[in-house]
Parts: sequence; C-alpha cells; structure tokens
Amino acid sequence: MESLITAAARALEAGDPLGALNRVALRNDAPSLALRGIAMAQLGDLAKAKALLRSAARAFGPREAVARARCVVAEAEIALVSRDLNRPAKTLAAARATLASHGDLANAAHAGHIEARRLLLLGRVDEAERTLAEIAACPLPPASLVVRELVVAGIAIRRLKSKEARTALDLAARAARQADIPALVAEVDSASLILNTPAARLIARGSEHPLLLGEVERLATSTALVVDTFHHVVRRQGVAVPLGTRPVLFALARLLAQAWPEDVAREALISGAFQARHADESHRARLRVEIGRLRTQLKPLAEISATKQGFELAPRKTRDVIVLARPVEEKHAAVLAILADGEPWSSSALALALQMSARTVQRALEELARSSKVQSFGHGRARRWMTPPVPGFPTGLLLPSPLLKA
Amino acid sequence: MKRSAAEIIREYGPFPDIKAVHGVTYDGSHVWFASGGKLNGLDPDSGKISRSIDVAAHAGTAFDGRHLFQIAEDRIQKIDAVSGAVVSTIPAPGGGGDSGLAWAEGSLWVGQYRERKIHQIDPETGKILRTIESKRFVTGVTWVDGELWHGTWEGDDSDVRRIDPDTGKVLEQLDLPAGTMVSGLESDGGDQLFCGGGDSGRVRAVRRPRRTQESAS
Repeated sequence: MESLITAAARALEAGDPLGALNRVALRNDAPSLALRGIAMAQLGDLAKAKALLRSAARAFGPREAVARARCVVAEAEIALVSRDLNRPAKTLAAARATLASHGDLANAAHAGHIEARRLLLLGRVDEAERTLAEIAACPLPPASLVVRELVVAGIAIRRLKSKEARTALDLAARAARQADIPALVAEVDSASLILNTPAARLIARGSEHPLLLGEVERLATSTALVVDTFHHVVRRQGVAVPLGTRPVLFALARLLAQAWPEDVAREALISGAFQARHADESHRARLRVEIGRLRTQLKPLAEISATKQGFELAPRKTRDVIVLARPVEEKHAAVLAILADGEPWSSSALALALQMSARTVQRALEELARSSKVQSFGHGRARRWMTPPVPGFPTGLLLPSPLLKA
Repeated sequence: MKRSAAEIIREYGPFPDIKAVHGVTYDGSHVWFASGGKLNGLDPDSGKISRSIDVAAHAGTAFDGRHLFQIAEDRIQKIDAVSGAVVSTIPAPGGGGDSGLAWAEGSLWVGQYRERKIHQIDPETGKILRTIESKRFVTGVTWVDGELWHGTWEGDDSDVRRIDPDTGKVLEQLDLPAGTMVSGLESDGGDQLFCGGGDSGRVRAVRRPRRTQESAS
C-alpha cells in the first residue's frame, strides 16, 4: 500500500476525517477517492460522499474486486442513513458475496447488517432476521458488533420480546464503550430508552394506564379477551379473529370492549364507527347489519347482546376484557412513530415503510407540518422529513476501518 | 522467465498492537518493519521484537549501513539507527504514492505503487536519477547480489519478482499463495527474502532461489 493512503487511512481510523482529507484532497486515484468519500460521509456531506464513492468504485481496476465491493457497501450505508430505501438490494448482495468469497468476512458481515437494517426499517422483520442468520460467524470489531446487536434488539422489540431486546442492548452498550465512539454510545442509549418508554396503553373497565414493552409482552399470557389495535385483531390466548380488513367491525369491537362491562348506546356506536354526526334511521339499520356481522366473526370469543339503549359485549371463557392501544392516538401516529428514529426520511421511503400510497403519506406530512409536528428540508425528490427536536443530522455512519485497507 | 511458487520458510507475528506491516529492511541482525506509528526491530532467530523507534512509518523501509530510511506521507526520513533520531528528510518521488524502499550502490530505490514504477533517486536531494517501469503495482523493492527484486500486489495476487534493472523485463517470479499480500521486501544478503505481510500483521521469510547459468546471462 502506498504511503499517503496509509497515513490518511490511519487518520480516519483515529476519527480525524479532516486529517485524512488534508492528505488526499487533491488526488483522484481510486483509493484516494474512496478515502475522500468516507471522510465526507463522516463529516455529514452525504451527497458528496456518495458521488465520491461511486467514482472510486469505477476507478478501481477490474482486478480490484474487493476494493470495489467495499465502495459499494459504503455507498449502501450512506443510502441507508439518508433513508433512501428504494435502492435495489441486488448490488449490495453481489458486493457482499464478493467480500465473503475473498475472505473479507468483517466487511461481508457489515454488508449483511446494512441489509438487515434496511429490512427492519421497512418493517420486514422476518426477512431481517433471516439476513442476520445468514451472516457467517466471524470475529467482529466492536463497532460492527454494536450494529449487529442493535438490529437484534430492533427485531426483538418489534416482536415484543423485551428480555431478548434488553440482552442485545446490554451487549451493544458494552461493545459501544469498547469501540469508544461517542455517536455509537448515544445511539445505543436512545435505543434503550424504548424499553423504558410506554409502548402501549391499556384500557379496561373505563380506565387506562400506560404499559412498558415488558408489560405488553406479559399480556400474551393473560386470559383476558384482548382487542389489539396494533394488529387489528380480537384475541383470547390462542384464539384470534383478525379484523384488519374490516375497519368498521374493528371499531365497533373496540367501542364495546372499552365500555365493558357496561353497554354502549346506539348513537355512540354510530358516531364512533361510521363517523356520522347525527344518527338517522338508515344508520340504525346499518348498525344492525354490522353488529350482525361482528357477532358472526366474534362467535368463538364473545357474544354481543342487545340492551335497552344499545349493545354490550359478553366474553366467553373469561371475565376480563381489555383494549391495547397506541400510547398516543392521533391521526398520523404511524408516520410520527417512524420519524421518531430522528433520521431524515423521504416521503417515498415513508410510503414504502408504511405500505401506504405516496399521496396519502404526502397529505399526512403536510397536515403534520401545519401543526409543526414535522419539518422538511430540500426540494423535489431531495426533500426530507424529520421530527423537529433532533439537532442537526445524526448520521450514525459506521463505515468500518477495514474498508480502507489494501 | 522462470515462475514458481514461493517457498515460505518462516512466519513471524502477528504481534500485539501491530495492525499492518508497511515496509521491511534488515540491518544484519534485526529485521526492521514499519507499522504506521513506529519502526520495530525483530530478532529473526527468536521471532521477538527487541527494539522499536517511534517514528511515522507508512510505507517502505531501507538501511544503508548506518541509517534507516523510512517513507512517511510524502517524504523519506533518514533516521540514525542507534539514537532513533530523524537526521534529515527528502521529498518522496511519488509525492505520497510511494510504497517500497531499498538502498543500493549509493542510491535509494523507491516503488511507486499504482504508477507501477521504480525510481532510482539521490538520497541527499531526492532527485530522480532514472525510472524503471513494472507491469504490476509495486510494493517492496530490494537489491541483492546485483539482482533487483520487487513485490507486487494487484487484485488478489501477490508475488515477488526479479526484473532486469535496465529494461524492466521480468526474469523470475515467485507466486505467493492467494490472498497473501507482500507489502515490503528485503533480502538478508543470503538465501532469504523478508516479506512484509500487509494487513495480516506478519513478516514472512521466503527462499530466494539460487541464480542459474541461464538466467545469469
């Protein structure tokens, strides 16, 4: 390896991107372009970093497959941090295979972690887990270990497995301290907050209280009839009635469950489930039809009986009914929940992650922006959205140092 | 051209706290190798590092009998081998794209990695006296018994090769196993070539074949 490249790589490794740039700023050979790209990424200029890494990948000769693959991985990481989730996964997979076949297991693992994080952001938890399982066991530098454990924790949290999540976060915290990178320590800390922040609200017998992730998890063993607004199902232990495709039926079930053991007046059901201001005869007729449908659906779990002024729920085989709801219920809670990761998102990436149409997401963002709950910067395709309290642009870039070698 | 597999006689390292080997030289008793922030003196018999000099050491290393020469960034430092003090510095001919370094016949020989060149320079001024073109990325460079050897690393392949100093023609080539990098090169004056192992953090001793009648001509 050559002298200035070695010196610049050592500067980057020591967390001194400006020192690295000083050494290679005016050079345009492939390794210099790659080093400049990584330095720019660490300095937060992601657009420039991406362009430099792309030209570095082109500048490496056909025999320098490993160096080229490392550039592709670095570019994919920048795309992930910029929440550019639409990129084809194929190039990253190919680079990962190249690295693995040339024995660069640490960087191959890094590529796998990037892919798993992307899948996790898209809510494809099973695929993220599969990707993680594919990564060959190899000794990882502490910074990569942090990423791995954060992905494991992310999967566990989405699966409501708080114990696994806590173990992974503890490992991540230890590795972050070992890596001695303040940004990583902060990232693990903020991830750990999730375990101590209410993940849900429990509504039962007319009163409600917040639930931590662990408490939500324990609900799984409860014998109560649960109306779960996260998954739009009504369940009791192993028996579940999915109502995700029947929003009106689910809304009725929820209203009945929230009031249990009291009954709910017809007017309240109509205004709650049909979004109608005044109940007229046609609404009453429709309510009878919908209650009939719900009765059929809920047959294994509960009975719905008519009362003088409305309807009431009568659960079978249990004496408890609870509603599991999001901590804050507002119209665009799902959009806000995703933006809570503090990264800048494009509306198309949000649409992808929420499985909503781009137009719907756009409307939600504009509405949220009017009430100052989100803010945007940039224009056109480069426009990004984020929640306001985040100072600057946390990049979370973790390009590992082996990327720079040879 | 004679081509054969390199015979690795012995492997040294990896050593604690040394991530990579960038340059190698031999002072008759110690193999000195550059590891970024320092020069390390390795006893080739015991395999232990018995001395070290704190000096920027990013690429090739050479020894002229009294001084160690060490490439750092875009210059060549001349270091008193006894005191470890930097006596003087000259600009490196590749402006930082320099890799291997050797001392022979009153000149310094510097490999320029991606340019695939070897420069002969004046050790006092750094002036380029002449340039030999190689076919591959040049890592280490060494002279022994009038033979000019250099290490290569390109793609996944590394070898050490003897070239004609006038034409650059490859006369003999020893291939290292795939994925084994040669980052620095030095002869022990006899049958061994010491090869820096790059990111492996190792130094390897490779057998130098006896010169045959045919290739001597």
